[in-house]
Amino acid sequence: MMSVVELSASVGQVLIASGSSDEGGNIGLVFLASGFIFYAVVYFMYRNVDKRHKHESETESSLHNLQERDTFVRSMTGLSNRRMNGANESAVRGALRKFF
Amino acid sequence: MSAVDPNNEADAADQVINTDGGAKDGLAKCERCGATEISLNVATGMLRCSFCRHEWSSENAVEAFDLNGDIGKLVGLTVGSGSADILPSTEEVLTFKCSACGAEVVIDTNHGTQARCHWCRNKLSMNQQVANGAVPDMILPFKLTKEAAVAKISAFVKKRQFFAHPKFKQEFNAENVMGVYLPYMVVDINAHARLSGQGEHQTRSYTVKNGDKDETRYDADLYDVEREFDIHVNDLTVESSSARLDQNASQNTNNIINAIMPFDVENSVRYDSNYLAGFTSERRDSNLDVLSPIAHTQAEDVVRHRVQDTLKFYDRGVRWQSEQVDVAGQRWVSAYLPVWLYSYQQKKSNGKSFLHYVAVNARTGETMGSVPINQGKLLLVSGIVQVVGTIVAVVLTVVGI
Repeated sequence: MMSVVELSASVGQVLIASGSSDEGGNIGLVFLASGFIFYAVVYFMYRNVDKRHKHESETESSLHNLQERDTFVRSMTGLSNRRMNGANESAVRGALRKFF
Repeated sequence: MSAVDPNNEADAADQVINTDGGAKDGLAKCERCGATEISLNVATGMLRCSFCRHEWSSENAVEAFDLNGDIGKLVGLTVGSGSADILPSTEEVLTFKCSACGAEVVIDTNHGTQARCHWCRNKLSMNQQVANGAVPDMILPFKLTKEAAVAKISAFVKKRQFFAHPKFKQEFNAENVMGVYLPYMVVDINAHARLSGQGEHQTRSYTVKNGDKDETRYDADLYDVEREFDIHVNDLTVESSSARLDQNASQNTNNIINAIMPFDVENSVRYDSNYLAGFTSERRDSNLDVLSPIAHTQAEDVVRHRVQDTLKFYDRGVRWQSEQVDVAGQRWVSAYLPVWLYSYQQKKSNGKSFLHYVAVNARTGETMGSVPINQGKLLLVSGIVQVVGTIVAVVLTVVGI
């Protein structure tokens, strides 16, 4: 039964990935994948396999003696992605919860 | 992350906070009437004698052991005496002599630190720390009553009735909830961080034609970005039971218990076994060598999250290429934290069983759970949704939307 969940999650990821390039065509894709999306939404609501303690934001912390250095490198034009490639400023690596 | 290595003898336990000074094993008596029938009054958060109704409280652990001291002054490794490494040779089932009648009483530390003398009916408590992880440095008493926990669990399950497994619906009874003290390590970290990489700031977005399609393009400025700072991480909390550390959601539902954190650990008190009366407990079985890498990786996550406030200019994101976090000092304290736990063992058709939890944080009331699903019903409804969705998609294509 887990394969249905994995498939549903994959469909969701495909939809998200295609979101930046062609948003008009996504309406049809959403309807085509509606059964998988429905399954995934209900599964996550009942089983909460994605839930975890958000230690990165829920743990108290304070910064001191902050030094900031920002150096202009170059301007870029004609980029097709909305986000920077490989952006990882919000990466979380210490979560104990594993998905599948 | 480079850190003080607890496995290295030179580094190990620069300082030990003695947290069981004055603690005594045996009969813990009410100071007013001498009875040993003492338990937590959840409504007041104080210990209460069942005979004379006298109430009192243990000293706040944070104040007693100066755990609120300036994290910036932490140097090296500081551990509470109740967080010391567990020695494999230490017995889990301990025998005490009842000082009231002289009989020998056995305490199974896997599930608690109290037992009743079979002869004189007095209660014996274990408050001194032995190297088996049973007595922590501090304990956070239950604050939420069982009635409140039952109401929260019932409400949580009620919202998930339609696709719930019929056997679960038939057998569910929130009154079966158990009060459990689970073992955790509470960690303060004093670190110096230096992150460097690149960030992008969007300067323009516009639409271009690619064949028949309109596509969006972006212009952006690229910057080298560097942040250097000291960071004080306060009360990072990590499970210290090996069973709870395993959070593979396809194998168990331990992530549910993880999700109800955080706790207000600053309100913890000095350990007294009487707080466990009427509840059960799970013994710590993991040492710092196992828990340090977890805590340090989570501290790095805190560092990355905390510095985001300084990166708002980079609306297209930042790619850190180097993250150096040097731990100058750390303080580890073990704690029992209170959880109301409803568990349900689901027997699957393949003969295997799967344990579902609905857990309530017994301080904040935060509730999370896993409800067994009626897969047949969900697949049927999902199939119907799929058929309808496909018809709509075909109609949209024909119409040309």
